[in-house]
Amino acid sequence: MTAGSHEIRPAPAPGTTEAHILVVDDDAQIRQLAAKLLRGHGYRVSLARDGREMREALQTAHMDLVILDIMLPGGNGLDLCREIRAGSSIPVIMLTALGSDTDRIVGLEIGADDYLPKPFNPRELLARINAVLRRARGSAANPQSNAIHLVFEGWSLDTRRRELTNPSGAVVDLSTGEYDLLLTFLEYPQRVLTRDQLMDGAKHRTATGFDRAIDIQVSRLRKKLEGDPGAPEMIKTIRGTGYMFVPAVSRA
Amino acid sequence: MIRFADTLVARVLLVSLLGITIFHVLSLWTYEHTLDRELAQAQDDQLAERLISIKRSVAAAAEPQREALAHHLSGGPIQAHWSRSRGAAPGGPGAARWTGLISLLVSRSQDLTAKDIIVGTGGDAHVALVSVRLPDDSWLNVNLFAAGKAEVSGHGHLLSTSLMAVGVALISMLMATWLTRPLRRIADAVSKLSIDERSAAIPERGPREVRHLAASFNAMHRRLVDLILRRTRSLAAVSHDLRTPLTRLRLRLADLDNSELQRALASDIDEMEQMIEATLSYLKGQETTEPPRPIDLVSLLETIVDDARDEGRDAELIAPPTLVIHARLMGLKRALSNLIGNALRYGSQVRVRIEPGNGEVIVTIDDDGPGIPERQLETVFEPFVRLEDSRNAETGGVGLGLTIAKSNIEIDGGSLLLRNRPGGGLSAIVRLPCGGVPPSRAKASAS
Repeated sequence: MTAGSHEIRPAPAPGTTEAHILVVDDDAQIRQLAAKLLRGHGYRVSLARDGREMREALQTAHMDLVILDIMLPGGNGLDLCREIRAGSSIPVIMLTALGSDTDRIVGLEIGADDYLPKPFNPRELLARINAVLRRARGSAANPQSNAIHLVFEGWSLDTRRRELTNPSGAVVDLSTGEYDLLLTFLEYPQRVLTRDQLMDGAKHRTATGFDRAIDIQVSRLRKKLEGDPGAPEMIKTIRGTGYMFVPAVSRA
Repeated sequence: MIRFADTLVARVLLVSLLGITIFHVLSLWTYEHTLDRELAQAQDDQLAERLISIKRSVAAAAEPQREALAHHLSGGPIQAHWSRSRGAAPGGPGAARWTGLISLLVSRSQDLTAKDIIVGTGGDAHVALVSVRLPDDSWLNVNLFAAGKAEVSGHGHLLSTSLMAVGVALISMLMATWLTRPLRRIADAVSKLSIDERSAAIPERGPREVRHLAASFNAMHRRLVDLILRRTRSLAAVSHDLRTPLTRLRLRLADLDNSELQRALASDIDEMEQMIEATLSYLKGQETTEPPRPIDLVSLLETIVDDARDEGRDAELIAPPTLVIHARLMGLKRALSNLIGNALRYGSQVRVRIEPGNGEVIVTIDDDGPGIPERQLETVFEPFVRLEDSRNAETGGVGLGLTIAKSNIEIDGGSLLLRNRPGGGLSAIVRLPCGGVPPSRAKASAS
């Protein structure tokens, strides 16, 4: 990872503003392993086994993010998520059952910020934490930026469902890499972004740091956005530097 | 071959008609037989009366007038003559028919004995010559013409029989329909029955046999639902419980220094996850909460094909820039991923084509692998079925990929067909409805 010198550096640099994350999971070993992983990446970590411990932790310290297993025994994880949402705007990442669309959709409806099927890939978890924290910080600076829908040229990106819909209302499927790339573009529209900056937004991808990888992602995203003949050019290549997202972006 | 009397109604009709026909033929035969006998009896009676009265009249007359009187009294089947000599010779063809007449004559007239009456037929069976001895030993010779049988109109019989048959057919049809209605109701209810606990029971109504049948069906249904629920729950529980150790494994893996080992273990875990996911997805079956939405099919396939290319595979997509269909995003993506995953597993080169057609879109996934033996093209869709081919043992999976693909595609109103390509390799042909008013929208606007 490159040093946090870019002005749009998304991740909290280790040791600077360390985010405090609460992990709620009923399995002791998973709690310990997750804590080790997150601490290793510079986060402060608190652990809770159930709803009661979660409430205690939330009362005693300020948390930046909650990772909540939806499949907790006894207290329903969804209820806990609703409870957190009722009291605060603290970001929540849900761990859902594998392949359970219902959990995912219900969780997003009641206000979780993101979801991850369990068993999750640790790299993926870190990336999601990174993205959610980045958005939460953006919203602290600019209350509007925590919007669920980012709208441009009739298109709309739903950041909770991680879904893009075109002007006719049809869902356009994006790969994880394309989604992250588009999100970075939408967060910094009408500005020239270097490949490095774009790469940071999509850092969890297995793709190694070759510039070429970003070029491929951009060309794929372009194809999906500008597929219709006559569609306006949205992503402009800035020769020698990088790319610029042309349309204005509004938030809803 | 069309099965004979396939429905219960037809069978009841057949039985009724057969019964009525046999009954009718037998009674008709008995009736006509009796009628014949009665008629012959009546005719003989009449003949006997007339013969006796002619005999008496002639015997009472003076000899010169006798012949004239006999002639005068003739008429109809009777032609009488008087003479001194006997005209009839006994016997001849058909003489037996007249023995009844002789005994009648004897019984009706006290002064006659069987010896006094000679009956014979000449050459003609229909003409009898009867000679009756008068008290003065002269003879009354009578030619008798056998009366033709009274003709009963055959047409009348046929008509009345046919009318009766039509009537019986109508009534038995109505009755049979009425009888079989409860059965049909049960059959309808059973065909609508699905194996889940929410499926309504068959109403136990109608005649006792039918109520019994309905009750048996309901009991069987409950047992099946119980069995499947228990199985599904235990399998789902096992699959869910596997999540925790798998998550631990993944987290522990992050600590591993040996990156080669890390990759190998990660791919093992990936495979296990895919199996669990496939099993859970199969167990959920058609029970999907995902609503159909307009989705860009091209972007969906681009994502899948691009992923394959990122892994260094030779995959290609030939498609229009966009193509919107109405489907369930997650379900369809899984189906198409499974099909393309299969193609990549067995082939080295995969080509995906999207062709918009008339009211549908055809997605063809071609590979250059070994294909599937013709006789297994259908069975591969069955759950947990894997090809016998030994080379497939190493390819992993639990044998649910195609089952899920087919099921998911069919939920969206499409179809999936596998076909061996002439030049080798397999073609998976997916047809999805496209264009027109999407079904769910039509429903929404109607309600």
